Amino acid sequence: MRHLPTKALLGLVCSLGAIATVRAQDPKPKLFSFGAFATAGVVHSTERQATFTSNPFKPNGAGFPNAWSASTDTVLGAQLTARVTRKLSAVVQLVSEQNHDGGYRPRVEWANVAFLLTPDLTIRAGRIVLPAFLMSESGKVGYSYPWVRPPADVYLMVPISKSDGLDVTYRLNRREWTTTLQATVGRSDVRLIGDGGSAKARDFWGLAAISEHGALTTRLSYRRADIFIASLNSLFDGFRQFGAEGQAIADRYDVNHKTFSTVIAGASYDPGRFFVTSEWGRVAARSVQGRKNAWYVSGGYRIGPVTPYMIYAQARADNLSDPGLTLSSLPASVAGAAAGLNAALNSVLSIKPVQNTVSLGGRWDFSTKAALKVQMDHSDLGAGSSGLFSNLQPSYRTGGSVNLLTATLSVVF
Amino acid sequence: MTRRGSLTDARFALIACALCFSPAIAAAEMVAVVAAKSGVTTLSRNQVMDVFLGKAIRFPDGTIAIPIDQAEGSAERNAFYSEFGGKSPAQIKAHWSKVIFTGRGRPPREVLNGVEVKKFIARNPGAIGYIDSTLVDGDVRVISER
Repeated sequence: MRHLPTKALLGLVCSLGAIATVRAQDPKPKLFSFGAFATAGVVHSTERQATFTSNPFKPNGAGFPNAWSASTDTVLGAQLTARVTRKLSAVVQLVSEQNHDGGYRPRVEWANVAFLLTPDLTIRAGRIVLPAFLMSESGKVGYSYPWVRPPADVYLMVPISKSDGLDVTYRLNRREWTTTLQATVGRSDVRLIGDGGSAKARDFWGLAAISEHGALTTRLSYRRADIFIASLNSLFDGFRQFGAEGQAIADRYDVNHKTFSTVIAGASYDPGRFFVTSEWGRVAARSVQGRKNAWYVSGGYRIGPVTPYMIYAQARADNLSDPGLTLSSLPASVAGAAAGLNAALNSVLSIKPVQNTVSLGGRWDFSTKAALKVQMDHSDLGAGSSGLFSNLQPSYRTGGSVNLLTATLSVVF
Repeated sequence: MTRRGSLTDARFALIACALCFSPAIAAAEMVAVVAAKSGVTTLSRNQVMDVFLGKAIRFPDGTIAIPIDQAEGSAERNAFYSEFGGKSPAQIKAHWSKVIFTGRGRPPREVLNGVEVKKFIARNPGAIGYIDSTLVDGDVRVISER
């Protein structure tokens, strides 16, 4: 089962290649189409002892060491689509944004072939965008949504945006409802910042149902994967040297071989003059990642080319700290090492957002290809939580509140 | 002084009036049309929008629908999306940027104007377009009005 997606993928690519050769002689060969999108953004953070980044795989952001950052939201993407026949197409999208090493070397965001088995049934193979939330498929295309970025309190629960594998989409039109059912299987590797190696998701599968009726869109999805993060191994190996108590702590918090599951529900109503969008999600793993849930509601009103909007978001997580090993029962010679492990475990546990965020912003469509947005976020962090911040400095204190100010310019070609 | 002031006011009022009425005169009512020999008789505005936004690929009777757009930026196109879907050109662009950059489809083919839409419909039995109501003749059937 573990190797099935890869084998199936290879088989499919080969057979699609064969079909492509035959169909290439169709009388109406389709042209390549090219598209590009870009966002240039700056963000300011009032928290100077930690770094705000728009996802955990970027090392540089706003706050520490510089209050302002242009590396958080800035992204450039280019896409080439080939319509080989009416039934077969291929697409490659390259994205350049801040990588785990702080550089901007372009990555293949996705590269897949799509085959229409029937007009309503599509199968795709290769690197595919992962649909988690309403906007996460186009999360890098700033022009496609009203905000400067999708609500981070909620969207960063599932920061991975692509998967290598297969996806099958079935579309059903009944009365005036369009329902799209989607099944995905695959795997995903993400490079972590610094020397963190990678996070791997294996035996990954998911289901999603999207229903659309006029201005209303609803979305429900479930996904699960086995997660492997090698960089945490030494921490849990350390605990395992401390007898039964250490063994129990390691088993409870170890990340590897644990199932990570995600349930997300959302709805959006957009009749044109205004929009209201709300999503709720829950992620759970019996590991140091624990259980998290978050939701947001957002609304905006369009006045000509200007759309003022607001967002209220709430993120909750359990288990932000653990007493760890009982130091008093340990000989003095190893108590220091045990205290070090306890501190390391607690620092990992605290990296979870427990916060409420109010955001106010505006989008100005000054042309039909470009939009300028400004957004202010005020977050109140729960006790013991470092919110969405990384790169915590020694004098950083959890909890408290923080303001972000972001301005972006997004274009599509 | 007072007299000149009121004259200017009157002129402004005239210009303002012309501004608010001229779009209504330039872009009369848009209607959604199919070929006269098509089996499709009537669609709701939502159904028409679903086809043009790529949400629906079939007519209610199960046949494949081929939407045909008018030129980007044309008064007819802007009027159609505004009257049928309440959407501005920027909103339509945002919709397609979402669809295109997730590899889920692409916008309808487009032709220059309403006359070209009628020619396209004559050649393609499954085609659906929108034209100014004054262009309606025996070759096309109106299936949805504003």
